[in-house]
Amino acid sequence: MVSAPPLRKTVYASLLAALIAAGAYLSVPIGPVPIVLQNLFVFLAGLLLGPRWGVASVGVYLLAGALGLPVFAGGVGGIGRFAGPTGGYLVGFIPAVYVIGWIAEKWETRIVYDVAAMVLGSVVIYVFGIAWLQALTGMTLAKTLMVGMVPFIPGDILKIAAAVPIARAIRPVIKP
Amino acid sequence: MTELTILGYCSGDSVLHKTDVRFKIACLIMISITTISANFWALSMLTLVLAVTFMHVGLSLTSAFKTLRYVFVLLMFIFIARILSSPGTPVFAFSKISVTREGIYDGVSICWRLLDVIVVGILFVSTTRSLEIKSAVAWLLHPIPFIPAKRVATMMSLVMRFMPVILDQARETADAQRARGVENRKNPIYRMSKLGIGLMRRTFERADKLAYAMEARCYSEERTDPALDSDSNDWIMLVFVMALCIAMTVV
Repeated sequence: MVSAPPLRKTVYASLLAALIAAGAYLSVPIGPVPIVLQNLFVFLAGLLLGPRWGVASVGVYLLAGALGLPVFAGGVGGIGRFAGPTGGYLVGFIPAVYVIGWIAEKWETRIVYDVAAMVLGSVVIYVFGIAWLQALTGMTLAKTLMVGMVPFIPGDILKIAAAVPIARAIRPVIKP
Repeated sequence: MTELTILGYCSGDSVLHKTDVRFKIACLIMISITTISANFWALSMLTLVLAVTFMHVGLSLTSAFKTLRYVFVLLMFIFIARILSSPGTPVFAFSKISVTREGIYDGVSICWRLLDVIVVGILFVSTTRSLEIKSAVAWLLHPIPFIPAKRVATMMSLVMRFMPVILDQARETADAQRARGVENRKNPIYRMSKLGIGLMRRTFERADKLAYAMEARCYSEERTDPALDSDSNDWIMLVFVMALCIAMTVV
């Protein structure tokens, strides 16, 4: 039996949105520092669902957060989060997932392109995040980068490295 | 066994369970906006109200602590960062690091605010069925053009349905891996990818089953949602929360 594609995609996109939300509560310890898995699932939403459903998935996640459901990192919801210091990163998820999904769909199942897509996606997230953080705090660009990007880069590299085998393992499971 | 996590709906008979969802969402938004600029008095007031509500709803405190343990770690980081980065009169100082009175004040009030908003969110989620959230979202979105309100609403209720399932599954997978000695593996990429694959395999299977089940029940977007109706009790609650918010901004 084959379900109608839109319904199945709707359910998958909701699942990824829920994974992004749950990712705020899941972490893998590296030494003493826990790595939160949230943007790993943002990457995977792009890789697994493609651009349009990826954006739908992240959009639903952000909307749920804006309505005050406890889905953002730290469990704090509410529309105030978009105005807070991390708002730029959240908004950046949308173009990032589109970019990742677009590249991944165009050159399917090539590891190099998957990695390139995720690197580009991270850059997009940081462009939005840093721009907003700087506008909000009025810090110099160098200092904003030190606070808002540099500490997270090692974690991002690890997440990109982990997303490649995950995407390879899960793609065959996903029904078109 | 599926353990009940506090992030899902818990059945009950409290005032919050009976209140119309739209009113609950309005209250949620009002409270979270008010806390942004709340001082200690306002926060104490809110905490008191929340504590009473929490007990009235009958949620278990231990499971709340368990679900939120990472949040506490995060709050601690925020607290420490605040203490060390705020200028002001130092309370005590090591060579270059100084802990300031303003820093402690800032840190406590920010963490307190965040914690209050988290508790409000938990109260909302644990007293509202996902079907109700769905119809409320459809109601909120239908005046906006170009957004398929019903589909978005369905997706959002699915998200809230999947959240506890995913957290349970993650715990199960992590336990299974721990039992097999995953902690001896120091490579974080290995651990992340193995956890991710196990978790996603299982949850995608679940999503497949759900899609079949929805289809078997002839799911379509033209279905009748449960009627949202409000009575005087809802208005009383809204007025109460409004009064609380006004009081919080005044003190």
